[in-house]
Amino acid sequence: MLKVVLNDNKNNEIAIVIPLYNEEFVIEGVLKELKSMYPQFALIVVDDSSNDNSYSKACLEGIFLLKHTVNLGQGAALQTGIEYAIELGCKYVVTFDSDGQHDPKDIESFVNRLKMGDIDIVLGSRFLGKTQNMPISKRYLLKLSRMFTWLTTGLWLTDSHNGFRAINIKRFPNFEIKQNRMAHASEIINIIKTLEMRYEELPCNIRYSEYSMGKGQSMWNSINIVFDYFVGNLMK
Amino acid sequence: MIIIKLFLIIVLSIIFILFAFSTKKRTFQKLFVVFGYLVLVVFIVDPGYSDKVAHLFSIGTGKDLVLYIFAAITSLINIVLYIGSKGHDSAITKIIRENAKKDAKKCR
Repeated sequence: MLKVVLNDNKNNEIAIVIPLYNEEFVIEGVLKELKSMYPQFALIVVDDSSNDNSYSKACLEGIFLLKHTVNLGQGAALQTGIEYAIELGCKYVVTFDSDGQHDPKDIESFVNRLKMGDIDIVLGSRFLGKTQNMPISKRYLLKLSRMFTWLTTGLWLTDSHNGFRAINIKRFPNFEIKQNRMAHASEIINIIKTLEMRYEELPCNIRYSEYSMGKGQSMWNSINIVFDYFVGNLMK
Repeated sequence: MIIIKLFLIIVLSIIFILFAFSTKKRTFQKLFVVFGYLVLVVFIVDPGYSDKVAHLFSIGTGKDLVLYIFAAITSLINIVLYIGSKGHDSAITKIIRENAKKDAKKCR
């Protein structure tokens, strides 16, 4: 199955967009793993003005490397990567976190599902897959965000804040993330509803480590996310 | 007391000049600023008027009225500034994004 996907990826048909911010210890490993598994995919890394050596560590052979000169946020980095993928002529875009939490093996099933043509966006769900070491607080926080998503968009998802997605960007070139920071996750669900995109959730494995948990979202930041989301909607 | 009143009127006049003669303001905004300026000058010169206006709106005293107006204006200014900063954010994002795409490189 994997071979079919890889051989089909002529002229950068599939791009993996990776927003990057201060991940100098893990980014090299993440990119090497992706490169070895998907050598024909366009790997687009958008460094969001990291303070460490992430930018230079991400510069591996064949990687498309972009840099924000000012830190804008993950949502902005994703949008920059998506726009660049469109410029490269990509049809499908996979969004993938740079902290090593996502499992590259899952990309195959996401892309294959998109290629069937009856779905426009595939959303990763850690509650459908094998998630390792998820703290209880995180589990409840995600359940709350699931309720929030349902209340604001009417879509009932098992996991509304997962950075692992695959999008048929050729069909939806107007897919535009306007929320620069973390509220983009909720905004994407809103975009799905507004653009009437056909969506499906697929299991994805998340590997929680001490490193990744140390960089996770705090409860206070969740309040900021909700605030950003509402203000962003009001100002549309 | 007169010195304090003079000081307040001078400060208010400086703020008025800055706001009223800003080229970006629309006519109704300028009229609103002129009206606000005149009302505040009257209140400073004769605080008794603020009591009368307060009674018209069933607000305790003129001091309460001034406090409410101050709170309302401060909140409004905060909202206007926040919306303005968001607009700048959007413009800055666009510029940074275009530069990032223009300077994109394929590592070798």
